[in-house]
Amino acid sequence: MTEPANDAITFAVIKSALDTIVDDMAYAVMRTARSPIVRDVLDYSVTICDRHGRILSQAKTVALHLGAVPDAMDVIMARFAGDLAPGDVIILNDPYDGGMHLPDIFMFKPVFFEGALAGFCVVIAHHCDVGGRVPGSNASDSTEIFQEGLRIAPMKLYERGVVNRTLVTIIERNVRLPDLVIGDLEAQYATCNIGERDLLRLFERHGRVSLEAYFDRLIDYGETLTRKAIAAWPDGTYTFTDYIDGDGFSPDPIPIRCVITVKGDHLHVDFAGSSPQVKGAINSTLSFVKSSTYLTVRCALDADVPNNAGVYRCITVTAPEGSILNPLMPAPVAARALTGYRVVDTVMGALAQIVPEKVMAAGEGGNTVVAIGGYDREKREPFVLVDMINGAWGGRHDADGIEGVTNPSQNMSNLPVETLEARYPIRMTEYAFRDDSGGAGEHRGGLGLVRTYELLAGDAILQLRADRTEHPPYGLFGGRPGAPSRNLLTTDGETRALPGKVTLEMRGGMTLRHEQAGGGGYGDPLRRPFAAILRDIADGKLTRQRAAADYALVFNPAGGIDESATATLRAARRA
Amino acid sequence: MTGSARIAVDIGGTFTDFVLLAGDGTSYSAKVSSTPARPEEAVLTGIAQLLATAGIPASEVGSVLHGTTVGSNALLQKAGAKTGLITTRGFRDVLEIGRVRTPTMFDLSWRKPEPLVRRRHRMEVGERTGARGEIVAAVDLDAVREAGRFLAAEGVESIAICFINSHVNPANEVAAARALREAVPGIAVTESVAVLAQSGEYERTSTTAVNAYVLPVLEGYIARLEGALAELGISAPLLIGNSNGGLSAATVAREKPVFFISSGRAAGAVGGSRLGTATAEKDLVVFDMGGTTASAVLIEKGELSRTHEYEFRAGISTPSRFIKAGGYMMRVPTIDVAEVGSGAGSIAAIDAGGLLHVGPVSAGALPGPVCYGKGGVRPTVTDANVVLGLLPPVLAGGAVKLDVAAAREAIARDLGAPLGLSAEDAALGVREVVNGNMARAVRAVTVERGVDPRDFTLLAFGGSGPVHACDLAASLGMKRVLFPEAPGVFTAMGMLAGEVEHHDVRAWLSPLAALDRAALATTMAAMRDDGLATMARQGHDAARITAAFALDLRYRGQEAAITVPLTADEAAIDPDTLREAFLAAYRTMYGYVSRDTIESAAVRLVARAEGQVLDFAGLKRPPGRALRPETRRPVRFSRSGWTETRILDAAAVGATPVAGPVILESDDSTIVIPPGATVARDPTGHLVANLGGAA
Repeated sequence: MTEPANDAITFAVIKSALDTIVDDMAYAVMRTARSPIVRDVLDYSVTICDRHGRILSQAKTVALHLGAVPDAMDVIMARFAGDLAPGDVIILNDPYDGGMHLPDIFMFKPVFFEGALAGFCVVIAHHCDVGGRVPGSNASDSTEIFQEGLRIAPMKLYERGVVNRTLVTIIERNVRLPDLVIGDLEAQYATCNIGERDLLRLFERHGRVSLEAYFDRLIDYGETLTRKAIAAWPDGTYTFTDYIDGDGFSPDPIPIRCVITVKGDHLHVDFAGSSPQVKGAINSTLSFVKSSTYLTVRCALDADVPNNAGVYRCITVTAPEGSILNPLMPAPVAARALTGYRVVDTVMGALAQIVPEKVMAAGEGGNTVVAIGGYDREKREPFVLVDMINGAWGGRHDADGIEGVTNPSQNMSNLPVETLEARYPIRMTEYAFRDDSGGAGEHRGGLGLVRTYELLAGDAILQLRADRTEHPPYGLFGGRPGAPSRNLLTTDGETRALPGKVTLEMRGGMTLRHEQAGGGGYGDPLRRPFAAILRDIADGKLTRQRAAADYALVFNPAGGIDESATATLRAARRA
Repeated sequence: MTGSARIAVDIGGTFTDFVLLAGDGTSYSAKVSSTPARPEEAVLTGIAQLLATAGIPASEVGSVLHGTTVGSNALLQKAGAKTGLITTRGFRDVLEIGRVRTPTMFDLSWRKPEPLVRRRHRMEVGERTGARGEIVAAVDLDAVREAGRFLAAEGVESIAICFINSHVNPANEVAAARALREAVPGIAVTESVAVLAQSGEYERTSTTAVNAYVLPVLEGYIARLEGALAELGISAPLLIGNSNGGLSAATVAREKPVFFISSGRAAGAVGGSRLGTATAEKDLVVFDMGGTTASAVLIEKGELSRTHEYEFRAGISTPSRFIKAGGYMMRVPTIDVAEVGSGAGSIAAIDAGGLLHVGPVSAGALPGPVCYGKGGVRPTVTDANVVLGLLPPVLAGGAVKLDVAAAREAIARDLGAPLGLSAEDAALGVREVVNGNMARAVRAVTVERGVDPRDFTLLAFGGSGPVHACDLAASLGMKRVLFPEAPGVFTAMGMLAGEVEHHDVRAWLSPLAALDRAALATTMAAMRDDGLATMARQGHDAARITAAFALDLRYRGQEAAITVPLTADEAAIDPDTLREAFLAAYRTMYGYVSRDTIESAAVRLVARAEGQVLDFAGLKRPPGRALRPETRRPVRFSRSGWTETRILDAAAVGATPVAGPVILESDDSTIVIPPGATVARDPTGHLVANLGGAA
């Protein structure tokens, strides 16, 4: 029976069923994972693809991962076409063979219905350690991929339901925390099985022919909505450049430049003019650049556009070979997330020229990664803390930026202070908003966060990936940049500033304080209502001195705003 | 001493429902319009009316059971107390930072909910407790007092205190609370360990802040209610339904209101489990459909499904248990409810891509559905049901005439024309989509837990539930639907089925294999003693209190745990039995087990006071009224056309099965029995639909 997918009701029911399946899968990872980076910080992603490897539905997980799935699926389809069987499970992490950076292990489970391939369950998780020279395997100062840990080419972890013991043993022997890594791989596996079970139920209910016709329609639907939106944008080219502070070896700023071309209902994003590949580990695979670009464009579309392969059909992305956005082997890539965040900021800056009401000024610039790994003397066990600090949004056309919020490219959570202290020989002495850090504007940027870590005893390796110390988050349409970030190391009462990308030894009693950049402002600060400024002052988010400078205000002795003196001051400034 | 009649009161947004259960088992019910500004007024009106109807003097009333939305409304309308917070230095922003996630993706227009305590009123003091409970720095009590005085001067009415690691050692926090109560005696103080002694500084701070925020409001309301009951001559104890479906003395609700936020909603689920026991339906999905939302609760082998935390928020539009961050987090025991933003008032629309959506936008009470003629112009689920003939063209015994033509026109214009369908077929589509959305709620409590809904019976109540229940059940492959008698006041009825409960949970971190049974037994004994003492203060006889323990287990490294029963007998505590129970549950949920170390995380106590609980099988009705005569009207059940359908008075259905299609009407509900199904009254007096092979 051939059935054109023309029943509006069945279509809606199938779309909702797919969304439920990925949601259930995402919940299963959270419940079964072992490492704090997965179970608390939620650095993982879940999606379902059809038998051609096209994304059908994504869970509300890390967007930055999800857009890289198409390129990874291409590798799987090319490598394993005709060699897939029920019970097979494939994993990979090699950035030069379908992956992004080594800690992110992709897992794919092909799903078979009535003996033939029906789709794939895909779960990507950031593992707390995959070996290499530094605990956490995330160092920004490695100089080749071989220093970064275990490289796993696309391989079967399970073959017809039988686990590949050789591969498991190689992984166990090459990572610092095998219990957590294997435990998290088990969580990924369990999640694939849950997705498989539910996807098969859908096939049983609707039949292959009918269901696959609706899959096609679902992808077309994503494409239709995307093309409609792009077609409404004015044709033209829009350019924006943003910067990374440096690669940890050279202080030279690293430009990320994009040119967006809108032509009819298609978008082309080209990154020519961006930096050549760099020595440090912030090079990004092209798949990750695509992912960063897709999600930023997706933010400029309406909320009900489904996140599937249809959206990607409308956007092409190019970056020169040998550039930081398309590096050649054996360039190091471990800290590439930072570059992805800057791609997001850059594309957002260009989109601001097209759809100013859909974007925000720059946020904190991506999460800051603090990894502290060592040997717990009391517990006689190795430990690796991988902590990610999120974040602040920039101002929007009709609202302030949010403070204490995930970067929109991730949707990650935070590691509770009490969980951290119970598991690691570390005490956190502050987790708070950073006063005065939001960029001024009619709609100000969100405040950055402060997080301070005290190593209680023993020795450890600290590995830091921070940015936006030299190039703070930009404002839009007259809004000011957010405050730049700072990293402060205190030893025996003496405090010194650290560069953003550094690996160093930490001893008991030393304290690391990260002050995150604040979001940029949106619109002219002089248009900000006095009431909003006074409320920020009352809440201690803004000091009077800073308010006076940023918003050209004169305060009266009672602490209120002297409106006539303020008007005079502002007139003088304009003149 | 007071008498044997029991009264249950459930306050809803539109109506306040009452059920009086007389000493001889006769039940009387009443409905009066709610009085949102002063909810106790409707309560008094209704109770007086009910006592008069039943001919029972106030002195005969033995207890008043109450489900209240005062707590949830305070949160929803931001009408709680002006609240302050005192934290460890460096952590005053934990409440506002939250868990940093967003409930949606790719949406840069998102607004984060306003914290219940603004930053100006979040004070920090010097103090620190380490992760193992060691006091790193004693609490600076002068700073605590100074913070209290500042907050008092700011007009703050209630203060929450939450210190880092206070769940391990509460000494600093308790000392601070004591000093604060002395310094600012007129202000309510909630210390975090009094409501939640568990790890997780955000969840604990938020739970404490919610408690502080709603405390003065609920306390004032309960005091007024108690005074008013006394005026009626009722001296019986007032019991308040908690979010977990149990009942607690009013004093508990006044001190720990955070446990009572979902007071009303939980009662329906408890009633469902009790009804299930009475009708021998041990495996049920309790389905409630209101104006803007629909919800589902699982009852497996007679046990209600419960959870340890939830988020309160308005406009829930997803059954996701994965995504949080849309509202106010409370880590308190609660009935595990999956809710979707689909109800009778949900608006149906076509998006730019040609997809039919129903909800989460609702027409609400105003402007309401198009057919109500109160200004609504966008078609709703109710409009679809009216157009299809599933709902009668008049409401409330003929008092309100519905505008069927206007509903049909709106559906034809907004949905039929763009989809190329007739108004009737588009209306059927609206029903299918809304049933699909509501099925997500049912799936969330069944399929997601590895439970097959096809083995379960759907229990439907609420104003609109019975209109959709049979089709919803069929879409999930469920074969039976149970309709309680008087579905419109079922939540109040459910309260009569609740038991007085006391809950306690304490951290117990240990590898399962190395469980220190003696120490655990000592802690359990202390928990039981505390519980008995608390309940004795509420007037319960210690000899009639049962205590049940449970242990939270997980693989080492996991955060989420599975709760398994734990024997109270020290000698019988057996790690192997516990391990087997954990592994069985884990395999059911996740399809695999691991050889890794299993550890315990917490020990839990639920103490229940034996007492009168509602026996659904033994209910008697007051003298009957005359049956409405049978009529007929055309109804459209499918795309194949109109069916001339019998319309019966629900009370006319007896033990002999009536074949569908048939529509059963009563004062407060409409039950739709589609073609192919049958309906009959079971021996306990409730209606059961059999869907036959329809799946």
